Amino acid sequence: MSADLLTVEGLSIAYGPTGVVHDVSFSVAKGESLALIGESGSGKSTIAKAVLRLLPHGEATAAGRVALNGRDILALPEKQFRPLRGRQLGFIPQDPASALNPVRTIGAQAQEAAALLGETDPSVRRGRILDVLEQVGLPDPVRVYDSYPHQLSGGMLQRVLIALTVLPRPSLIVADEPTSALDVTVQKLILDMLTELRRDLDISLLLITHDLAIAAERADSLVVLKDGAVQESGPSRDVFAAPRTDYARSLQADVPALHPDRYRDQRTAFQPARDGDYRTGHVSSPSARLQIDVRDVTKRFSAGGMDVLACDGVSFSVERGRTHALVGESGSGKTTAVRLLLGLEQPDGGQIAVAGQSTSGRSRAEVRDIRRHLQLVYQNPFTSLDPTWRVSRIIREPLDQFGVGTKPERAQRVREALEAVGLPSDVASRRPAHLSGGQRQRVAIARALVVRPDVVVLDEPTSALDVSVQAGILELLSKLQRELDLTYLFVSHDLALVRQVADTVSVLRKGQVVEDGAVEDIFSRPQHPYTRALLDSIPLATPAAALGEVATEAKQLAKATA
Amino acid sequence: MTGDYRRFALTRAAQAIVVVLLAYVFTFLIISVLPGDAITNTLRDPQHGLSEEDIQRIVAFYGLDQPVVIQLLLSLGRFLTGELGFSLQSNLPVSQLVGDALPSTLTLATTALVIAIVFAGAIAYGAQYLPGKWAAIVRSIPSFFLSVPNFVIGLVLIEFFAFRLHSFTTTDPNSPVATLFAAITLAIPVSAPLAEVLIASLDHESRQEYAVVARSRGLTEARLFAKHLVKPAALPSVAMVALIVGELLGGSVITETIFGRDGIGTVVQKAVTGEDQPVLQAVVSLSAVVFVAVNLVADLASPLLDPRVKIRETKLKEKVGA
Repeated sequence: MSADLLTVEGLSIAYGPTGVVHDVSFSVAKGESLALIGESGSGKSTIAKAVLRLLPHGEATAAGRVALNGRDILALPEKQFRPLRGRQLGFIPQDPASALNPVRTIGAQAQEAAALLGETDPSVRRGRILDVLEQVGLPDPVRVYDSYPHQLSGGMLQRVLIALTVLPRPSLIVADEPTSALDVTVQKLILDMLTELRRDLDISLLLITHDLAIAAERADSLVVLKDGAVQESGPSRDVFAAPRTDYARSLQADVPALHPDRYRDQRTAFQPARDGDYRTGHVSSPSARLQIDVRDVTKRFSAGGMDVLACDGVSFSVERGRTHALVGESGSGKTTAVRLLLGLEQPDGGQIAVAGQSTSGRSRAEVRDIRRHLQLVYQNPFTSLDPTWRVSRIIREPLDQFGVGTKPERAQRVREALEAVGLPSDVASRRPAHLSGGQRQRVAIARALVVRPDVVVLDEPTSALDVSVQAGILELLSKLQRELDLTYLFVSHDLALVRQVADTVSVLRKGQVVEDGAVEDIFSRPQHPYTRALLDSIPLATPAAALGEVATEAKQLAKATA
Repeated sequence: MTGDYRRFALTRAAQAIVVVLLAYVFTFLIISVLPGDAITNTLRDPQHGLSEEDIQRIVAFYGLDQPVVIQLLLSLGRFLTGELGFSLQSNLPVSQLVGDALPSTLTLATTALVIAIVFAGAIAYGAQYLPGKWAAIVRSIPSFFLSVPNFVIGLVLIEFFAFRLHSFTTTDPNSPVATLFAAITLAIPVSAPLAEVLIASLDHESRQEYAVVARSRGLTEARLFAKHLVKPAALPSVAMVALIVGELLGGSVITETIFGRDGIGTVVQKAVTGEDQPVLQAVVSLSAVVFVAVNLVADLASPLLDPRVKIRETKLKEKVGA
């Protein structure tokens, strides 16, 4: 096996007495790419850190063998390992916004990477840096060189980091979720660029990701991890098309892009036959059925002397019992639209009606009462719950605030809400720190439901969660919608997910609705180039020819969107 | 950006002036509500031997026969023109009293500040880079420093260095060595909070992703510290240093007494016991000026030190991403 660049044999890692990685083995051949897939807690990032020898000193202990070109790097003293850093082993981190020193310029930090080339003349180094910045597709390298990290967007920063990593020409790059903090269209561009660079420079890749679709699309072979142990490994197409273990199968089943109709049955079971001629904006359906009606809403912010139109004539409406999705990337105005709807901001122009009642020209108290029918589930359950409160108090808060019922009635409602979201009653006395991400998001949903709203605004409700947890939450939301006849406004950047859960969709870009309509229409016949770009950026396992049934399904989707 | 910065600087400077004026008014009101008519009591004290005309002159000067508001306006007007009045005890101009005492205190406070910063830096570095057990010991130093009262440290230093080792004599408190020990006394408790802030922000910065990424580029720990961690970790302590100056002013009263130095501390002490209103007013206002000025400098410096604080700039927009 001399062709193997990186060989990991029987790697076990423990933080103190707790083992997080157990007897993991895999190898990466020269010029090949391998993806470690797993959910949070699977140990995938810990393995990456071990390969890079970046595990925190004294806290983590690694046993086993990690060999790079046949040399066991775990056994090397730091002095002998340091020359390998950067030159042999490159690292692309997860969150580009925090991976560069905020108080030093890009150029100053790039000089460190350039120093690894052994070039001593700073001006020659600068030239090399500008070259590589251009190579990763940054339009104005000189300006980037002199910028501080906060002056660049996330996509640009990730390009910078990739540039710094490939500059010393390492033979292996470890990329830890390199695109999960980026917008979907940027994500695709970055991955394309990385693939191209790898081919041109003959660099091997160890890709760490939670996204099976990305892994299958970008890696030659896969290693599926769960709780620190290897579940399954092999060539991507085999693992992806015919997963052998239950866990790999469930991971595969939870990829939204591959199963657009997963929640369809649950949702359509209660819905009247869908009227095929539905069009947002010019529907003739009785306005009484419209739970949310946003007409031509405009909102302007001024930042640094410049006016930004966060919402530029945004209109959308949602019928009772339906799910409408607002789709867009950061800066598209979807968050502003939601804040306007919830009354957290006042629109500069336009009309907002909730359950047929216009919110403009009403007193604060009346608007508050209308808003009671509107509840919000936040994006990140790790930050949206007060860590010092017990779950019962968190869920009860809206009742206390609106002064609903007597004390025992409120307690009863909290119990019902907990039951509705499928949490055991003993959770009520716990604090958020003792709950998993999925449980926390269930608590957040219970908090929204406890005042018995008609409309629930779901702001990226699953983007902070693992795919398997995400599936559970989406199932729950579908069930609740059916049972309680809820209307959902689903805010997301993930079109594959939207396809699974929404009936109608508005695609937003730079504060404007570029396209709207029924989900099937948008997906099968996207009109606007931006919608097409969004659809293209859904990762699909297209490279392999024999992916079997799943791939056929995926390909049909790909064709439909082409 | 320069225009933005100028506007920011002017606003902050104007705010600083308002704070000083408010401090002046506040001090004046506090002193005037103190029980007893301090000024007339002192003036009528037969020990002073002031003639009736002198008294009349002083009463007219301070407007003592006028309502408090008028007195305040008179006093404020003189303060703005730099006229601080006369000490009621010694009849010397307040500006002279303060001016004589100021250099000694400034030397002490500045030396103490430098020592405090050095101590804090050393403690923070040790806490970060010494091997396990030693780091833990170093980490406990700040709380030890805080829990020992200033005067105890001073007395121990005098006992040991002056009386045992004869490094300096207490009879010449202004000699460089004596000043150094006085400054150490003053610096020790003051360095503790600074060290705590530095330790915490170094801990924070070294755990940041960028530190890990920099390590992956093959930087040594020493280079990582010098190039990457020092600056962001020091930024929060700039504000802390400004606050410390206040501590130094307050702490100098005790230290000067222990070491027998003549300085602002001594002036304050005499003024308080003798109800010397003009001197008190002047010293408190002067402290306010120093304190506000130092904080103003810290405020104005932070946008220059930390590029993130720079007033909003338009981001370079990504031309690629759709």
